[in-house]
Amino acid sequence: MKGYYGEFGGQYVPETLIPALDELERAVSCAFGDDIFWEEFSSFMRDYVGRPTPLTCAKRLSAHYGIDVWLKREDLNHTGSHKINNAIGQILLARRMKKERIIAETGAGQHGVATATVCALFGMPCAVYMGTEDIRRQHINVERMRLLGAEVVPVKSGTATLKDATSEAIRDWVTNVDSTYYLLGSAVGPHPYPYMVKMFQKIIGEEARSQVLDKTGKLPDAVIACVGGGSNAIGIFSAFIDDHVELIGVEAYGRGNGKNGASINFGIPGVLHGARSHLLQDENGQVLDTHSIAAGLDYPGVGPEHSYLSTIKRSGYRLVDDSQALAAFRLLNSLEGIAPALESSHAIGYLEQYAKEHGGTTVIVNLSGRGDKDIHTVLEEGL
Amino acid sequence: MISDAIRSKQKAVIPYITAGLPDLGATGRIIRALSDAGAAAVEIGLPFSDPMADGPVLQKASHLALQAGFTMEGLMKNLEDWVSSADIPLIIMSYINPIMRPGMKETLTGFKEKGIQGVIIPDLPADARGLFNLCRDIGIDLIRLVAPTTTTARQKEVISGCSGFVYAVSVKGVTGARTALPEEVSRQVRAIKAMTDLPVCVGFGVSTAEQVDDMLAFADGVIVGSHLMDAVMDESDPIKAAYDCFRKLVEV
Repeated sequence: MKGYYGEFGGQYVPETLIPALDELERAVSCAFGDDIFWEEFSSFMRDYVGRPTPLTCAKRLSAHYGIDVWLKREDLNHTGSHKINNAIGQILLARRMKKERIIAETGAGQHGVATATVCALFGMPCAVYMGTEDIRRQHINVERMRLLGAEVVPVKSGTATLKDATSEAIRDWVTNVDSTYYLLGSAVGPHPYPYMVKMFQKIIGEEARSQVLDKTGKLPDAVIACVGGGSNAIGIFSAFIDDHVELIGVEAYGRGNGKNGASINFGIPGVLHGARSHLLQDENGQVLDTHSIAAGLDYPGVGPEHSYLSTIKRSGYRLVDDSQALAAFRLLNSLEGIAPALESSHAIGYLEQYAKEHGGTTVIVNLSGRGDKDIHTVLEEGL
Repeated sequence: MISDAIRSKQKAVIPYITAGLPDLGATGRIIRALSDAGAAAVEIGLPFSDPMADGPVLQKASHLALQAGFTMEGLMKNLEDWVSSADIPLIIMSYINPIMRPGMKETLTGFKEKGIQGVIIPDLPADARGLFNLCRDIGIDLIRLVAPTTTTARQKEVISGCSGFVYAVSVKGVTGARTALPEEVSRQVRAIKAMTDLPVCVGFGVSTAEQVDDMLAFADGVIVGSHLMDAVMDESDPIKAAYDCFRKLVEV
């Protein structure tokens, strides 16, 4: 069925949005079939974002674990994360659709910064919804968005994090549906968002695959990426999906006390924000409070394609908790001179367990973002 | 029958109340009061943690009802009493996830067995044909929403998978009182009525007796939610507050 990955995905939205999704679907299909659109996308990727990003051999980290670790350096993108790939792609689409105003949700603030950036670049008004809890812990990104000319709209409802920011962005979209383009930041939401976001993020995997072949002459044994909504993971996984390469998503285990962001590990299929996927919910179908030290992983749902890939066992989803992520943050700083985002630190944090079970292998870790924004949080936890 | 109940009223107004606020016992008494006050039917809203189609008032109501301990099990225990104490059809409004959690068929069959006559689901899947067939087999009405943005082709599709009444959404946006309603509503309602024999009721934004009268000039019924919940939520006597608020909407 249209927009489904197995039993996951779909379009579960207020009726007002159905024509908007139809319009978006038509625009996506028209743009994706148009070479000029992709040439424009590529030129922005090259000349504005700074792609291709390097694939860095992490020599000291490799020696530390006894496996060959390669880092896909999405942290070196303009604005400091993979989110800019999707933001550029979608704003080019919004312009083709003649939309006048952009809205977005953000958790860690990386997608908010990326969206505010492309809105500045194209001179479009921009409102970014952000939970007050995330505004507190990602303050630097809030200031960046404001400098870029975006309005940051605080969301106090619910848990005041990413899920509530997303609900509020959807409410804005329902209200201003004619003029407004909703620039959704992850591979979640109603069809065609999960598909479209993957198509803009698959550049990560395409580059990484050709780079690793160039540098090592073979494919890696595994590709590892953190999963909140799952856009960086689906982006890098997509290029390896037909290969004999293990695909590993790393979910946030929080403090290990029951509150976490690990939807695939602990969730039950359900509907949130327009799609059916694994959802952290109670026995009454109410969405549970989540926790992760990484604001970008602090989300009770996950992209429907990840739910599907886990169900067919094409990819596995492992757990890393707050303290393991913090240790990984420190380790990458001290061994490689790289400060990873706390989200990406979860992917790095899984290496210890992986290396114990798979000595002598070669892996690519998607370093989805840089950690400058997290220094404050890390210091609070005691560096 | 919901459609008969709407047609039999000179002023068919359907109040919406959030279940479990301040508790399920009070909800039952409010339903009874609204029935006595002359409601055509009552729409019982089940609280949900993430009500993306609702404005601030119903978000708050949902939040408070969950804090007060609302559960589906508790609801099911009360439904039969509510149905028998009211002389009018009761309709359940719920986001899809709480209904889906125990299983769509189980939940909807449970509603039917307790005497609930219809359901409204604001985040139905875009292709709701399967769910419509399920509701038809169970014998419960699936009331569908038509929005101001809905195309003619989509209107036809929605109406063909709808029973009870057609819910015409008056505004682009979320639930909540509006001082003015768009003039296009009358055109929208007339277009829907040309396509179906089902009653057409207008909801979202209606908060005054004048607006009720304006809408009833072309619509078969009107749904009032946020305005009523706003009047009820912080009152020491929510039953009287609900009765009084409703009477003000329908008295000439």
